[in-house]
Amino acid sequence: MTGPRGTGGTGGTGGPGGRGLPEEAYAAALASVPRVGPATLRLLLATDAPSVAWSRSSFPGDVARIWQRHEEKGIEVCWHGGPGYPARLENDPDAPAVLFCQGDPEAVRTHPTVALVGTRSPTRYGIGVAAQFGADLAALGVSVVSGLALGIDGAAHEGATASGAPPIAVVAGGLDDPYPRRNARLWARVAEQGAVYSESPAGVRTEKWRFPVRNRLLAMLSDVVVVVESRHRGGALYTVEAAAARGIPVGAVPGSIRSPTSEGTNRLLADGCFPVCGVDDILTALALRGVLLPAGTAAAADEGSHSGSAPSGGYAGPDRALFEALSNDPVSLDHLARVTGLDLPALCGGLERLARDGVARDIGGWWERT
Amino acid sequence: MLASIAAATLTGAVGRPVSVEVHVSNGLPGFTIVGLPDAAVRESRDRVRAALLSSGLPWPLRRVTVNLAPSGVRKGGAGLDLAVAVGVLVATGQLPPDCTETLAFCGELGLNGSLRHVPGMIALADACAPLELVVPLCDAREASLVRGDAAHGVSSLTELAEILRARGEWPAIPSAPPSPPPPDLPDLADVRGQPFGRHALEVAAAGRHHLLMVGPPGSGKTMLAERLPGLLPPLTPEESLTVTRVHSAAGCLLPDGVLVSHPPFRAPHHSASLVALVGGGSWSLRPGEISLATHGVLFLDEMGEFPVAALEALRQPLEEGVIRVSRAGGTVAFPAQFLLAAAMNPCPCGEGVFEGACRCTDADRARYTRRLSAPLLDRFDLVVPLARPDPDQLLAETPGEASAVSAARVAAARSRAASRDGSGAGEPPLHPKAAGLLAAKLREGALTARGLHKVARVARTVADLVGAEQVDEEHICDALCLRTARAVVTR
Repeated sequence: MTGPRGTGGTGGTGGPGGRGLPEEAYAAALASVPRVGPATLRLLLATDAPSVAWSRSSFPGDVARIWQRHEEKGIEVCWHGGPGYPARLENDPDAPAVLFCQGDPEAVRTHPTVALVGTRSPTRYGIGVAAQFGADLAALGVSVVSGLALGIDGAAHEGATASGAPPIAVVAGGLDDPYPRRNARLWARVAEQGAVYSESPAGVRTEKWRFPVRNRLLAMLSDVVVVVESRHRGGALYTVEAAAARGIPVGAVPGSIRSPTSEGTNRLLADGCFPVCGVDDILTALALRGVLLPAGTAAAADEGSHSGSAPSGGYAGPDRALFEALSNDPVSLDHLARVTGLDLPALCGGLERLARDGVARDIGGWWERT
Repeated sequence: MLASIAAATLTGAVGRPVSVEVHVSNGLPGFTIVGLPDAAVRESRDRVRAALLSSGLPWPLRRVTVNLAPSGVRKGGAGLDLAVAVGVLVATGQLPPDCTETLAFCGELGLNGSLRHVPGMIALADACAPLELVVPLCDAREASLVRGDAAHGVSSLTELAEILRARGEWPAIPSAPPSPPPPDLPDLADVRGQPFGRHALEVAAAGRHHLLMVGPPGSGKTMLAERLPGLLPPLTPEESLTVTRVHSAAGCLLPDGVLVSHPPFRAPHHSASLVALVGGGSWSLRPGEISLATHGVLFLDEMGEFPVAALEALRQPLEEGVIRVSRAGGTVAFPAQFLLAAAMNPCPCGEGVFEGACRCTDADRARYTRRLSAPLLDRFDLVVPLARPDPDQLLAETPGEASAVSAARVAAARSRAASRDGSGAGEPPLHPKAAGLLAAKLREGALTARGLHKVARVARTVADLVGAEQVDEEHICDALCLRTARAVVTR
């Protein structure tokens, strides 16, 4: 455990429990009281240390057991004004009173942070972009913040956990119960390499209303917010709203005007968000905010962003026609047969050759360039 | 007086001989039927009595007991009416006892003494052999399909009594319609574009490969599937007898006395129950849709909506070509050698051919595709993706290639395959490149051992369709493309 943990030295030993429980235990207990919302919690902790607040409010609850549950799972607890609380949240009027963290809470202090968020049912385009940005940003020393949800969030973290800066996740439910289950492995990887934050104490189920709250915290923890893909209504837009309210720059990845998953992002661009056509755009936004990157990373960014290929792909004959008929949008075999005029065995043979060369791939019978 | 008349009853698609014994004795007037009759047989008491009286034949005011032997077998339907009536006539001395010795009787009686249609006549006629058979005139042609001259048709009880009394000539069976009119099948010419879908259909028809089409609504899945029977060659005489037998047993409306000569096409709705699909019933075991589709096409539209149990029940008949339905009353084997064509959407909203296009949640998608179990999916050699046709092609004036052209290729491919099948040794080995490609796919895990076998078989069919002696690399690629939609339904 590297986190600064108050061992009751700040007067907690004199708390009502008197069993040597640290202040964190009382903070977790206060957050676990049912029907005590964020505002009440903030009020309770505004003037008093958690142990004092706990004894004054006389809530029922077994502090020791609650604390044990957090300790078992390696969940650290910090409260507004206490040690280990992220500095960038301190001045926010809406900051969570008690924050739970799995992993290394240093990550948000030491690295610039960029939120990559978006829809839970993205296109391949969105998944590809999120994964690429995630990997590139992490390699450039920027921590990727995301929500560990399915779709864009997961893809961004998949990219970011490959190497580089520590990834940061902000989740809605308790840290002892990964949600969605499908991302449990990714969750563990993020917790190991970086940090997973939540406002919910252990044992709290992921309820629907917690997601907008989570999205607000996600925005607070980020220097820049980038929406990769979003429908015209979506959770990502809560993040955007929260970021806009705090003056955090918001970027959006442009998409096809025909794609419903880009409706939200294209609308954001029309509303004045900065367009994100590559990692450089994100770096520029970071630089404009005065966030400094480790030296020598700009060149690497230039290198990674442009990778052109010859229009013919170096093919000749029918394979060339086939290559030219393919694009980054998946097309059906019917379309390819019509455009190239090849009969089906020849067409399938050509596609197999292109797939072997790694320039084409099929998605459930539709073909696209890689 | 005692009379014993030969008849037959239907169990599943098979007839069983029944001996109808009629005993008329002194006592309180009454009419009892014993020997496991069902409701329809019990009611024949009233039909027989009324029919006799309306035909001007006296009803005995004595005690009449009818026993249906063997008494352990349940008897159903109204087909025993005629035998009971003849039995009463013989037992009361209105007919000479020796005139019915070489005859069996099957038919339902109307209250006016007329004879009515009985379902399953082919199977009943089979069961009556070697006796000559008397049936309603409307069923005579069907019976003569299997019994030839040994089947006789009469139109009423009066007519029958006169013939038997006078040993007269049987009325001529009306001759069958000159030739079965060509069935009005939908033609592939109506399909614009869809080269891949057509190709898949052709391969399915040529190699009897089960076909699953995956595509969004409006991509022509149903339209294509309905045109599959048009590509299949006409039934052989044995096949057509099997099909007619099953259809006749199920009580399907058949053209009078004409064998089913074209492959049947059955498209049960997705609300169909398991029993409706595989056959059964409490004890009058009836053939199900899969048996009615035998030697033809069973089309399951919206496969994702069928009850899981019903789909899983298809696995064993798909393997064996036979379905054995067992009930407390007995076990019946129905033929079930069908070509399975199925269509489904990639996801509940129908748009999710690839990620992003659809609005379903992952859970929805998983729930939808989970209905199709891996073992069932393995039965499909062809899992093809279909796309909505291009608007230009859809609006084009030029019709697509006609079914006849395609059917000719299918027939040629089938005869090529048949000439090879006789001697397994005659099959040329795969082209080295093709074998190499298959080996590579197996090594990289893209194919399982079973998948490899299936791809090789489909590739053989593709080669047969284009008239190639040897399976080439391109044929393998084609076969691989014909199963690419597996990725959509297994994700």
